[in-house]
Amino acid sequence: MATEQAPGLSYAVRAQSSGSAIGRIAAYAILFAFVVFALVPFSWVILAAFDQHASTFAKVPHAWTLSNFAHVFSHAGGLRLVINSLIYAGGATVVLVIVTTLAGYVLSRFAFRGRRALMLGLLLTRVIPPTATIAPLYVIAIRLHLTDSYIGMILILSALEIPLGIWIMKGFFDTVPIEIEEAAWVDGAHRLRTAFRIVLPLAGPGVAAAALIAFIDAWGDFLIPLILISDPNKMPISIGLFRAWTSYTQVDWGLLGALSIVYMIPAVVFYLFARRALARGLAGALAGT
Amino acid sequence: MKPITSWRERLLVLACLTPALALVGLFTIWPVVWAVVQSFTNRSLIGEGALNPHYIGLDNYRSLLHDHSFYASIGRSAEFVFVSAILAQTLLGFLIAYLLATRPRWRLRFRSLFAIVFLLPLAVPETVAALAWASMADGTRNGLLNRFIGLFGVGPVQWLQNDAMLTLIIINIWRGIPFAMVLFAAALASTPTETLEASMVDGATAWQQLRRITLPMIRPQILLFLLLTTITTFGIFGLVYFLTKGGPGDATTIVGIYIYRQAFQFYEIGYGSAAGVLMLLILLVLGVGYVRLMRDQV
Repeated sequence: MATEQAPGLSYAVRAQSSGSAIGRIAAYAILFAFVVFALVPFSWVILAAFDQHASTFAKVPHAWTLSNFAHVFSHAGGLRLVINSLIYAGGATVVLVIVTTLAGYVLSRFAFRGRRALMLGLLLTRVIPPTATIAPLYVIAIRLHLTDSYIGMILILSALEIPLGIWIMKGFFDTVPIEIEEAAWVDGAHRLRTAFRIVLPLAGPGVAAAALIAFIDAWGDFLIPLILISDPNKMPISIGLFRAWTSYTQVDWGLLGALSIVYMIPAVVFYLFARRALARGLAGALAGT
Repeated sequence: MKPITSWRERLLVLACLTPALALVGLFTIWPVVWAVVQSFTNRSLIGEGALNPHYIGLDNYRSLLHDHSFYASIGRSAEFVFVSAILAQTLLGFLIAYLLATRPRWRLRFRSLFAIVFLLPLAVPETVAALAWASMADGTRNGLLNRFIGLFGVGPVQWLQNDAMLTLIIINIWRGIPFAMVLFAAALASTPTETLEASMVDGATAWQQLRRITLPMIRPQILLFLLLTTITTFGIFGLVYFLTKGGPGDATTIVGIYIYRQAFQFYEIGYGSAAGVLMLLILLVLGVGYVRLMRDQV
């Protein structure tokens, strides 16, 4: 492979192993610098959340407190935001799991004309950012009475995740051999019932991966509620944070910090669970975020 | 996999596909069709265009092609994508993945701990990331970025007022590195180690191994990442809108913000749709490349 060869083998090997001690130290130093870069921006959010007198910039609190968190849940507006976000993200995840399980199963098990085109077409929809079609989406939502509507948000948020969800599901169903199902057919069991009794548990990791990714994306979405929701009682956390932040003068920074932490914890925890699936599902790759 | 043999199976396939395809059709495909249709009208949310929208041919496209601020928004998006995603995320994400990957004679400790920490910027919701950086970029002496550059006797800088684009680029590098890292780590993990071992016996240096063996092997994944990050970065909206709303002035009005402003600040739905259609055309070219890369996986 190498065209310029070192003068002698033993020399080369020696040079490499001695060099790698320095290389190792340099590697840790570089990685540590990136750790700082990754973590420091969170310092304000975390410090402010526990500070009785938080302000716009990061400082170590004089008086540590948990009252900001208590506020998030006692303060009617704060609790409402959390509940709304749970309804939107939870609803979208349930819808996604149901429809992509069905679609993923038949796409994995049956050969039919247009199947391949359909899979590729779904992939192509991933390149359509909601940003580009936001104006028509708004008009369509108004016509269908889906603005300021829980159902509307749930359906639209799940629709955005469906193409990736189908790819993930189909991939997992592919790993379950058809013979397992066929054995059950002999006993006269109904085809779909066998599928869900026997195949679904085996494809469980796929369901979990698709569900986690859908939940994370729907939970964090900002653009869709920004255009669809104007009723303060139906706003999710993302819009609540945005409105609080833009009303600059009357902001309770501690409350904002605490709400941010409440908001990021499910996303981060689910992300860590989904990590392996993300790496494996290189295919669909989490192109959305 | 087997072909459909009976009408019952045909019905089953149809019934199972319909809910998913209906949702995608209604909320992803139909808006695209509708964007094209509306882009030929003067539809608006107020005034004449709201009561009685009518066909105006290519007028919206003609105006767009003469609209300096539209070109400027494309230019800003291109700058944003190129500097933050194509250059910085790719290089830095690869650097991290390469250092953390296990190779013959190279194995660092705490790899999964590092990987988890590096994932955080992408794991938090967009709005939390924006809020965190709003404080980082605080224009006073107390902002963390200003304290940092203050160590070198520089500043304070009004980050989001005077250097808004630069600030957003830094933020997007921070947020995008994890995605690059995850993709490249998976690519590196799937490369066989035998070739590397053999090259070491031949006396190849670490640099030669990287240039001549590792990089050529993971070329398809590098290409995949470049495509994906270009597509997603082009569509970014929330991070920028949260922090600057496209301002100050037009300084950070990337394409996504431009479309949003046309449609929801000036209420020009037809004009905003036309801008969206042009944006989609650009993405379609990239999308075809993406599908070609993925074709073998069906």
